[in-house]
Formats: sequence, structure tokens, C-alpha cells
Amino acid sequence: MNRFRTRWGARAALAAVALVVAAVAASGAMTAPSAPTATLVIDRSFEIKTADPQRAFEPTAAIVDRGIYDTFFTYRGGDLAHPVPQLIQSWKASKDAKTFTFNLRRNVHFADGTRLTAADAVFSFRRLINLKGNPSFLLDGITVSARGKYTVVLRSKAPNAALPSILTNTSLGVVNSKLVRKHGGTSAVGADTKDKAEKWFNSSSSRGAGSGPYLLQRYSTTSQITLVPNPRYWGSKKAAFKTVVVRNMIAPTQLINIQRGSHEVAIDLSADQAQTIRGNKRVNVRTRPSTWTFWLFANNNPDVSSITPNKHFQAAVRYALDYKSIVSVAGPGAIQAPGIIPSMFLGALPRKDAIKQNLAKARTELAASGIGSRTITLEFPSDLTINGVPFASLAQRVQANLQAAGFHVDLGGATVGTWLQKYRDGKMAFGLSLWGPDYPDPLDYLAFMPGELVGVRAGWPAGSDPPIEKLAAKARITSKASARLTIYRQIQRRLNAVGPFFPLLQPTQVFVATKDLKNAVFNAQYQVDVTQVAPR
Amino acid sequence: MSTLAFRMRARRRGGTTRPAWRQPLAVAGGVIAIAWLVVAIFAPFIAPHDPLAQTFTPAQSPSGAHLFGTDELGRDVLSRVIYGARVSVPIALLLVSLAALIGGLVGGLAGYFRGIVDGISMRTVDLVFAFPPIILAMVVAAVLGRGLRNAALAIVVVAWPSYARVVRGLVLSVGDTEYVESARLLGASARRTLFRDVLPNVAGPVFVLATLDLANAILLLSGLSFLGLGAQPPQAEWGSMVANGAQYFQWWWMGTFPGLAIFTAVLAFNFLGDSLRDFFDPQTSWGGDER
Repeated sequence: MNRFRTRWGARAALAAVALVVAAVAASGAMTAPSAPTATLVIDRSFEIKTADPQRAFEPTAAIVDRGIYDTFFTYRGGDLAHPVPQLIQSWKASKDAKTFTFNLRRNVHFADGTRLTAADAVFSFRRLINLKGNPSFLLDGITVSARGKYTVVLRSKAPNAALPSILTNTSLGVVNSKLVRKHGGTSAVGADTKDKAEKWFNSSSSRGAGSGPYLLQRYSTTSQITLVPNPRYWGSKKAAFKTVVVRNMIAPTQLINIQRGSHEVAIDLSADQAQTIRGNKRVNVRTRPSTWTFWLFANNNPDVSSITPNKHFQAAVRYALDYKSIVSVAGPGAIQAPGIIPSMFLGALPRKDAIKQNLAKARTELAASGIGSRTITLEFPSDLTINGVPFASLAQRVQANLQAAGFHVDLGGATVGTWLQKYRDGKMAFGLSLWGPDYPDPLDYLAFMPGELVGVRAGWPAGSDPPIEKLAAKARITSKASARLTIYRQIQRRLNAVGPFFPLLQPTQVFVATKDLKNAVFNAQYQVDVTQVAPR
Repeated sequence: MSTLAFRMRARRRGGTTRPAWRQPLAVAGGVIAIAWLVVAIFAPFIAPHDPLAQTFTPAQSPSGAHLFGTDELGRDVLSRVIYGARVSVPIALLLVSLAALIGGLVGGLAGYFRGIVDGISMRTVDLVFAFPPIILAMVVAAVLGRGLRNAALAIVVVAWPSYARVVRGLVLSVGDTEYVESARLLGASARRTLFRDVLPNVAGPVFVLATLDLANAILLLSGLSFLGLGAQPPQAEWGSMVANGAQYFQWWWMGTFPGLAIFTAVLAFNFLGDSLRDFFDPQTSWGGDER
């Protein structure tokens, strides 16, 4: 009897243990992080030439590269004032703001499992510099070196207090140096001709190049780009979506899609379009001043045009424009750009300093220019819409303004790719363009100075205007906020008086996301940070 | 495409074909087509405003002041639709004439001389037919560069083979008739035979094809402008107006009215072409009474 009891007791105890184990296992299974199932869809009017981080410099590329590559610093939400460490665990700057030492996290690895070290960071930064591409200027005057396996030292010729902000840029995303070298990449001097890795970066075989939570699965500069989770992501915040699709959509289609979609973001709606969905209960509509600045330029290079370098012509353009009517094209919330630096940045000009239309003066200057009835062509990207403002509409308004003052203006629309190439080659005589900040600091706008990136494109080489260049040189080494404000305002006033640029407007930034998303906010640096957005 | 219009269909008719002007579709097509021609010719007198003047409040919905509303730049949409007819209709007429001339000449020579001339011509035609017309027109327009003139040239490139094929077939059949053979035996030159004896017999079908092709030409031209390869801003052109309207769905009138203009013009020339075909050749028709 006792044996019987004992045997049954043992069996019962075993069964109870099994039950407990099963229950624990089941509860464990229920609490384990489940694989993401939702798809995030981001509608964007494409502006992208490549996904190669050290070559890419367009807004759409920033969305994609934010997901694939990690940077030294990043931003949280819509904030642009406080860079947050991402790949680094500590850093320090010398008192003269010329030497920066960064200690990297030890637990970061790329998607192929390779550990991320200082050598990768040095390779990435040197590659950016030596590719001499559009983002290369970010590290102008900076030398990069490694000290040990996990320490990176950046030395700047001039004080560069903006460096942490600069290091948030996805062009400074750290790539897997071994893998990139294996696929034709190089960081050596001459990389601009010898580096052959761009095609590889733009393909799904580049998995392993980055350490971010997503991987590139499909890449097209005309239709859509697809990201999928990096299963070996080192961070605690894993990819929240099974797929991230960045689609090339014009603003009106974005308007339709966002109203019927789920887990969806629309970035290019105009202020007018946003008005139509304000009452929609499924979407959050947020508006804020855009950091984009639309502007015209008249090329100063006499080899490019015999008309546009004429200072009387430039003055005539400046005063012929009816800025109010130009701003109205961008809809409610848009403002005239008094200078090239947008209103929310240090050094922006106050509204009272904005140029005002003066038709009499414009006509006098036009007569003094002696260009007579010669026709000038205003070139613009006809298929590009930014913040709901189609370049074609804006170009037509500018043309009407100039014609009213006696100019003979033709419009020359081109696809954004064709237009960008001509503009970047400095061969465009008279163009309608725009600038978005690479990092939220007025230092970024010194690109408009003679001899700098945009200045050269507008045929304004170094030495063209010593007073403004002297101011720019002073701006680079000044770190006190009040002094910087004064200098940047002086620069812009001078730019408005003699420069080849004519600031037009700042549009309204509308950001619409479906309510089933959390952390979906607009960030001027990344448009939308796909690493932070998650389903509710 | 338009050659489809010439696929023969056996048709039984109880009596004689009614004159074209007594068919309701022909009348409707004729009236609308003539109306658009009148609008195109007298646009400056009909349009209430300058189509390029950005002087009104932008994005006004249709009202008594602006029957078709205003666009995003404050231009009167009605005036732009009216001026748009000055682009679409005359250019369509011109390019269809040019395509008929080139295609007719190539087809005539191929049908008359046959042999190697025929072989080369028809293989060239096959080559053009191998591509969808809109794709080929886009490629040509993209290569030549944006603009209305280049878009028209692109359409000529894709339109002439239809005429070459039709004219060749007709010349082949007419060329075998006794009166043509007699003329040639009597020593008539190729030019005389082609223009005196053959041309009158092929003119009717070519005219019908051209009328039907007008609709295609308007559609293709608008399509190219819609894609940004045709008319350039600020020119008022129906296709580019629809494209612009598509940027502003919330202001429906901007794209709807130019779209309706394309629709009515295309429909009118299709009706007209169908009716003319019935008139010229009662044995062929799309007709609804075949069995």
C-alpha cells in the first residue's frame, strides 16, 4: 500500500513539476520579444542619388541611411539642439575646440558580426573626405586618427564647436571597413577616382556594411527603397517593423495614401493639403516652420553666362521679385526668407531686414545692366516638390514677377537628376534652388561664401568678395553665441547686397503620420528617424 | 492603334448606308470637333482673361467670375483651357498630316515598286510597330529634349507606319487592277500612275485613318505633356494642365476641366472618323449588327 502510494505520489510530483516547467516555458514564450509584423510606409517625393553614406547627401538618403548606419551622435525626436551619443560612450573636446577625442562603445558590431572599432570610423571619415563628394565638406579641415582600438581623435584646423552636431549626419555613418574594401571601397587619397563601392552599397548585397537596426533589401531611386530588420543588431532597441518601405510619391498621392493607410507617414504635404485632413481621426497632422530655404541664384561666372554676372542684373532681379506673392505659392504658414539662414537658427536675419520689392529700382537697374531684350532661362527641377511646394509653380511665379519688371525670362524645367548635375557642375546660369541644413548650425551656411560649395556652383570663387570672406573667416573661429549672431547677420546683409543669391521663402513643414505609430515626428536631419518609430 | 480601325469586319446591312451627316454620332462628333476648331482659331476673342496672367485669387472654385475656377497661381482655368485648344488641335492636325504624307509616300512606293523597296520599308514599319506608341514617343521626346516641337516630332515618328501599312495594302490591290496595268503597258510613268490612277483610290481610307488618328495624336500629345516631355510651363496645354491639377487634388477643377477638354476632343474625332469610314466604305465598320 505504502509502495503504491509512494509510486503514485512520485508520479504526481513528476507531473506537477512537468506542469510547472511547461507553464514557465509557456510564459517565457509569451514574454519573449515577438518578431515585428507590421510594415512602415514612408511616402516621400524622392531626392536621392545614392545610398552610399559617404556619397549621399540628399534628404531621402538620410531616411534610408539612418536605419542602416549608426553615427557617433544622433538626435531624439524632433530635437536638433542636443546631439545624443550613439556609437560613443564618452567624449571630450579641447578648450580651443580644435581636438575632439571619442571613446567608442565596445559592444557594437556590424550586421555580419564584425566588431565595430576605431579603424572603421577612421576609414569611414577618411573615405568621406577623400571621395570629394557632396558631403565631403562636413569634415573640411579635419584630420582623423585612431588611438588604440576604440578611440578616435578628430583634429580641426579651426575651432569647430559644431562638430558633435556635424557627427549626427548620416553621411558620417560608420561603415564596415573590411567589407567595403573587399567590394572596391577605399579611404585613401584618390578615392574619388579609385573607390568603386557605390554600386555595391546600392544593392542588397551590402548587408553587413552597417551596424544599424535595418538592412537594405531593395533599392530604386525612382520607385521605392525597402529595409528589413538586422537580426544581429547590437542595440537594445531592435527594428520595430518587419519592413520599412520608402516610396517615391508626389504630394497629392501622399494625401490620398495617408488617409487610407496604416503605419504610414507622409512628409511632403503642403500646408493647403494638410488643411483638408485636419479633422481626420486616423492621422496626426503637425506643422512647423521648415528648415528649407528656397532661393534663386545668378551665376557670377562670365564663362557660363554673359548676363547673370552683371551686378545691375542681379540687383534688378533682387528688387523685381514680389516676395509676398512668391511666399503665397507655398500656402499658409510659409514666410519670406530674409536671409539664407532659416528663421529658427542662430544668426537668422529679423523679418525687417528682408528685401522688399521695388519695381522702380528694379527697372533702373535692369536698364543700367544693358542686357536689353536678351532672354535668360530660369532652370528648375520640374518634378520636385518640397514641403508641398512644386518647383514648377514657384518658377512660374518668379517668371511672372520678373516679366512684370521688364525681364525676358524663359523657363527650363528638367528632371531633378539632370538639374542637380548641371547645378553642381556650376554650369547653370540662372537657377531656382533650395538648401536644407546638413547640421543645425549657421556654420553650415558658410557654404554660400565665395570659394565654398554653393558659392563655387554659383560661379563665386574665393577672392570674389574679400569683406564677406573676412567675416566668414571670423565666423568660423567665434564660439560665443552673441558674437556669432552678430557676425552671421552681417554676413547675410552683405550677401543680400552683393551676393549672387536671392533668398525667397521658407515653406511650412507638414508632417502627417497615422495614429497607430508612436515616436513618429519630423526631424529636419533625418526627415523621420526609422529607428525610433514603432507601432502602437 | 489606328490600324485596328481598319480590321475588316463582315457586316450585313439591310439597305444602303445613311449619309454621314444623318448619323447622330457623326453630327455630335462634327459639332464638337468644329466647336474646338472655332475655339482654337478665335481663342483670343473667346477667352475671358489672359491665360498667363497671375492676377486673380489663387485656387478659387468655379463661380460666376471664373466659370472653371482659378489655378494655384491665380490664373483663369477657362482661359487656359481655351488657349490649350490652340496647342492641341492645330498641332494634332499638323502632325497627322505630316505622318500621313510620310507614311503615304513610303507605303505608296513600297506597294508600287514591291521587291526590295517593299521589304526594307515594311521591316522598318514592323520595327516601329514592335514598340508601344507611348513608350516609343517618350523615348524619342526624351532624346530630342523637352518641348512641344520635339513632342510633335516624336508623335510623327510613331504615327507614320500606320499610313505606310494601309497605303501599301491599297496600292498593292489597286496596282493589280486592269486599268492600272493598262496604263503602265501604255508607257505611263510611275509618278503618273501613282498620282493619277492609284492616289484617288487610296485617299478615302487614308482620310478616315487620319481623322481617327487626330484623336490619338491629341491624346498622345497630352500624354507627353502630362509626363513633362511636351509643353513646358507656363504654356497652357491640356496635358500639362492635368499634370498640374494632379499636384492639387484638393482643388479638383484644376485638372478636371482640361481633362474634359481632352475627353471631348478625342471623342469627337473618334465619332467623326467612324462615321467617315462608314461613309467611304460601307462594307467596313465597327458596327453593332454583325452576327
